[in-house]
Amino acid sequence: MSIVIEDLHKSFGKKDVLTGFSAEARDGETLVILGGSGSGKSVTIKHIVGLLVPDRGRVLVDGQIVAELSQEELFALRRRVGYVFQFAALFDSMTLAENVGLGLRRQRSSSDAEIHERVSECLALVDMEGFEDRYPSEISGGQRKRAGIARAIATKPDYILYDEPTTGLDPVTKAMIDNLILRLSEELGVTGIVITHDMDSAFRVADRFAMLHEGRCRFYGTPDEIRTADDPVVRGFIEGRPELMENAT
Amino acid sequence: MKRSSEALVGVVIVAALLLITFGTLWLQGATLRGQQTEIVGVFTSAGQVKPGNSVKVRGMSIGRVREIRLSPDGQSVEVVLRIQDDVTLPEDPVVILSPESLFGDWQAEIVPRDRFAAYRFTDPDDPDHLPGYALPDISQLTATADRISETIEELTERVGIAFSEETAQNIASLIDNVEAVTERLSELVTQQAQSFTDVTDEAQRATQEIRAAAERVRTTFESVGELVEREELVAILGDLAVVTENARTLSGELGETNLEIRAMAGRADSTLQEIGALVALARDGDGSVARLLRDPELAEEVEATMVSLRLLLDDIRENPRRYLRLSIF
Amino acid sequence: MRVLLQPFVLIGRGVTSVSAGIGAWGLLTARTVGAMRHLDVWVRLLLPQMARVGVDSVPIALFIAMFTGIVLSLQASYTFTGAIPLYFVGVLVGKTIMLELGPVLTGLALSGRVGANIAAELGTMRVTEQIDALETLAYPPLAYLVVPRVIAGIIMFPLITALAIGMGIFAGWATAIQLLDMTSAEFISGLMLFFVPFDVTFALVKATSFGFIVTSLGCFFGFNTRGGAEGVGSSTTRAVVVSSMVILVLDAFWAITLL
Repeated sequence: MSIVIEDLHKSFGKKDVLTGFSAEARDGETLVILGGSGSGKSVTIKHIVGLLVPDRGRVLVDGQIVAELSQEELFALRRRVGYVFQFAALFDSMTLAENVGLGLRRQRSSSDAEIHERVSECLALVDMEGFEDRYPSEISGGQRKRAGIARAIATKPDYILYDEPTTGLDPVTKAMIDNLILRLSEELGVTGIVITHDMDSAFRVADRFAMLHEGRCRFYGTPDEIRTADDPVVRGFIEGRPELMENAT
Repeated sequence: MKRSSEALVGVVIVAALLLITFGTLWLQGATLRGQQTEIVGVFTSAGQVKPGNSVKVRGMSIGRVREIRLSPDGQSVEVVLRIQDDVTLPEDPVVILSPESLFGDWQAEIVPRDRFAAYRFTDPDDPDHLPGYALPDISQLTATADRISETIEELTERVGIAFSEETAQNIASLIDNVEAVTERLSELVTQQAQSFTDVTDEAQRATQEIRAAAERVRTTFESVGELVEREELVAILGDLAVVTENARTLSGELGETNLEIRAMAGRADSTLQEIGALVALARDGDGSVARLLRDPELAEEVEATMVSLRLLLDDIRENPRRYLRLSIF
Repeated sequence: MRVLLQPFVLIGRGVTSVSAGIGAWGLLTARTVGAMRHLDVWVRLLLPQMARVGVDSVPIALFIAMFTGIVLSLQASYTFTGAIPLYFVGVLVGKTIMLELGPVLTGLALSGRVGANIAAELGTMRVTEQIDALETLAYPPLAYLVVPRVIAGIIMFPLITALAIGMGIFAGWATAIQLLDMTSAEFISGLMLFFVPFDVTFALVKATSFGFIVTSLGCFFGFNTRGGAEGVGSSTTRAVVVSSMVILVLDAFWAITLL
């Protein structure tokens, strides 16, 4: 039960986004991927569910190479991976209940009543009881984000990928989401990858850090290691001191 | 998905399908009531008729042309007509394809054959099929009319040449001649009839006399034996001489009659020769009448023209509206 | 030298990008056909799409057809004055609406309505990662988004076109008897004069192909949207422009091949 990213390369047109990134999310751990805006963090996790295909290198989930899976195998993999999008990516034309229940409906193993129950449960987990019949356009950005998390966890996935789950949220909601991530990891043993540049929540949830810088892995290690890292780029990033990063090459 | 929008989708689908189905049927002129049946007309040419054109009986539309196909042997065209089942077709029905209006739409009319006996109908091999005739299309008709008028013009011209003054005189004198000859012939016949009666009477009388004489000769010869030795013989011989004389006169008379008959026959013969010569003159000569009489092409053309004209006239008489419409413009 | 070569560069680039576009569209179409096997995904989405593509388009289609019928009727009578009998108004209205204006105007109107709608919707879904989200929920996005829309288009376009034709002829008839000195019988006899059932088939075949083109191009441009609201805008425009052009080209194509 692990996600291994090996030597990942990806370019869009002439722009090389990833140039050999490697990292690993071990079983039951939460890996936080750090990196500046546009450094390719989202691109990296999209490879994990096969939304993107690497130019070079590979991503292994449970030892399976994602890019080599057949469509049916990929569907099976995706059912076990929850994905929290940066801007929630809720379906505008559906209520929150329909949004959250969509993944469950796809699995066809549960009845309407069970789906209804699970949807309420997930919305309660993100503190959004009673929002079942609202449409995404009727709620705030923070609520949308939480609803997105509810949708990702509805199918009880083994892995959850969070794309900036706390960005732009108020401190209370942020803490609530951090706690949720921790609970899922500790109580259900979910393996998680969290993309963030919010260092507070990063240190709260991380078992391990990977820092993406200029398309490569600049740092990989535990929270303790990152706190004591010498690399000026890493230091500059976690301490919020751009002058350190600029001096480094 | 709300129930009402499901219903709307259903309404739109049903409405559109009904419109397509019934609209098409209505525009095709099909009747929904009543059974339909198909009949087949056989033609040498389908003219301008197309599937969908109307089928009429006595001017009433009773169906549509459904299909046009070549017959299996490729020698004729079969036009399938789809018509109402309950229509009674005319006696000995035939199908005529003709223009319905001047704009290219055609129709198939089912008519009794005897009313259009002049048309050359194509007779089908299959007894269930109807004989058919496709009228020349309106442009062909115009062309025909054109040709007819040309022919008539030419004809008039030729007739004009043929009946010159001289020809008229020739014909007049010919007629005079024939009259004279006929008169003489009838005179002759009357005369001859009288002569024959006379001759026959005389011949009969003579024959009777000869028989009587012969009788007398026989009785004379019977009495000869007894009379040889008599003095009377001399007197008998004298009688005989009289009889012989009589007979000779008779045969002379007969000979004369025969001569007269021969002369009369001679005269009749010459009259007939005279007619023959006139006819020959007409036949062999360069006269205009001769030309007129001799030209087989022209003659045929005149004949064909007459047929065409008759058809055109028939058609105009039958369907005056078709031609009268022209006046609208 | 550069300046001289510029036109050729432009031509080359244009042809290459158009060919690449056609290829990409063909690929999407092929994959859409492949995605039809996910019956469980798209079948229940078909009816809502038929409502959106079809039912919601009925008013605009009927509106256009109505005015087309009125104008055709009036113009035909104007053109025919004195030379051709008036019942030819019926012929002209019937034939023109059935063969050409019904399918094409409906197609063009719906390319603006349906095609733009699809391109904008899918474009927005693309740029807000909703399509990615669908994939992460193990839905095949083509089966979920494209198949029901294209099938709805193929089913509904001919039906809407049929209604539009009906409306156009009705409006032409109403105009003929109200505004022109014509009787119902004259108009209808003109209407029926040259009618063959193939006219209806022809109209429906055209409308079906337009339905496919409008919806599949809408999906194609929507699916390939890049870059935010501006990208959605340009996809929408391109969907309408390209599908309108393809409709006209297809119209000519059918006229050449079927008539």
